[in-house]
Amino acid sequence: MIQFKNVTKKYGKDITALHDVSFSIDKGDFVYLVGPTGSGKTTVFRLVIRDLVPDEGEVLIGDISIGKLSGSKIPKLRRTVGTIFQDLKLLMDHTVMENVILPLQFTGVSEKNARQQAEEILLQVGLGDQKDKFPLQLSGGERQRVAIARALIFNPEVLLADEPTGNLDSETSYQIIDLLQSINKLGTTILMATHNKEIIDNTKQRVLTVEKGRLVHDRPSAHKKTTESKKEDEGEEKEKKEEAQEHTDKKKDEKKEEHETS
Amino acid sequence: MKHLKTAGRYIRRSPYQALSATLIMTLTFFAISIFAVLTVLSVNLINYFETRPQLTVFFKDTVEIAQIDSMKAQLEATGKTSDVKYISKEQALEIYKNINKDEPELIELVTADILPASLEVQARNPEDLKSLAKVVSGSEQVDRIVFQEEIVDTLISWTHAFQAIGIGVIAILITVSIFVIVTIIGIKITARKQDIETMRLIGASNWFIRVPFLIEGFIYGVMGAMIGWLLSYGILLYTTPILESFLKGVPIFPVPPLTIVQILGIELVVALGLGVFASYIAVLRYLK
Repeated sequence: MIQFKNVTKKYGKDITALHDVSFSIDKGDFVYLVGPTGSGKTTVFRLVIRDLVPDEGEVLIGDISIGKLSGSKIPKLRRTVGTIFQDLKLLMDHTVMENVILPLQFTGVSEKNARQQAEEILLQVGLGDQKDKFPLQLSGGERQRVAIARALIFNPEVLLADEPTGNLDSETSYQIIDLLQSINKLGTTILMATHNKEIIDNTKQRVLTVEKGRLVHDRPSAHKKTTESKKEDEGEEKEKKEEAQEHTDKKKDEKKEEHETS
Repeated sequence: MKHLKTAGRYIRRSPYQALSATLIMTLTFFAISIFAVLTVLSVNLINYFETRPQLTVFFKDTVEIAQIDSMKAQLEATGKTSDVKYISKEQALEIYKNINKDEPELIELVTADILPASLEVQARNPEDLKSLAKVVSGSEQVDRIVFQEEIVDTLISWTHAFQAIGIGVIAILITVSIFVIVTIIGIKITARKQDIETMRLIGASNWFIRVPFLIEGFIYGVMGAMIGWLLSYGILLYTTPILESFLKGVPIFPVPPLTIVQILGIELVVALGLGVFASYIAVLRYLK
């Protein structure tokens, strides 16, 4: 679904935000992108939505090379990739409902249909009764949910979440994670950036670790790991059985030889 | 419709900027309206004088009717005239009375004695007017000869000067209007930079972002044109009786209602172009 092929991105001449980064995320995966502040997590996201263009390498969504997209096709790309920004980027003079239906207005969906669609998503994220409030009237967790609702309004195949638990308490953070996981279960590919160690330690999902612009570790998801381990165990058992069989056959041959000599 | 709503929201959020933009547009279109009306009136004025006799020979009070007949015959004998009409003192008084029919006190003061008798001459070819004047200019009974052409020429030169000044003033006002709208829309774009960036990042096309600002410029233009036109029309209605009594006998009023509506129509088209053009410059400058 998302592929980074030897991507390097520099800011100016001296600052290398990403250096020769390669990874691939399959459709329907939930992947964490972790690393300290300034490690390049946000740059990865900005490259995916073509807010930046790689200096070297290639970023692909499906089979589309993002760097080669013409300017007129960028808005369409951004409608297929839902993004929850680190600073949320909600319009403060718009109500919750207006914020959520805003992307639909870009495509000419009628006001009535847009509101209907937004109401369903607001219910999904638990903000059904907050639609007429302004962002400043909401708690941090609720604002985060508004950003999630807006990112989901196009029912995107890919959802990027940049530090969605950044400024939230532990309980609210887990509520957001649960919400994202429930979205993932419906088939949306999710790439979530975080530097919350607790979340990473407790997750069984795949974790990509970036440090100083380099991908330093790729921890597979527990599910995949289990499957691979099982395969390895089955292989070992088979080998042991084969060895045992060989040993038995050898012994039989030796006894036969002894018997013939005597 | 949604763009109109967004433009309305932008206007409501910064009413003083909207007011400034509308005021400068009003001033511009007020000047354009006044200029247009004055141009129509000056054309009416020139047309009026062009339809007057081309040459008027005024006689002294001592002139005998026979002398006038003789001069009339001499003029007609040249073959260069198309019409020569004698206006006696009494006829002159009738004309005067007709002009001042609403002001009896003026009529009372004037008698036929103080008005001169005259010959009104129309030439077949305007180039012959001077030679026709020469025919009668030698006579001692001729008080003065008035060439209508001179009046028309003077009026035309005044009108041209007025038009040059008017066009200059309007050009300056239009330039100022464009700069004011570019600045105001620019300020609004800068103030909403974060929101615009957000909209772009979540999939808004450039045109989706630009259109409300263009509509805003259009609204300022149209509002300015309407108010400017209404003000000038109000002033025209108010001053028409005063000017009519001042320009007695010169029928340049009223300005036809159709002309007034045409002025509004042209102004609305210009306002639309001006507002959208200024906004578009701002959008190109500030929304790269």
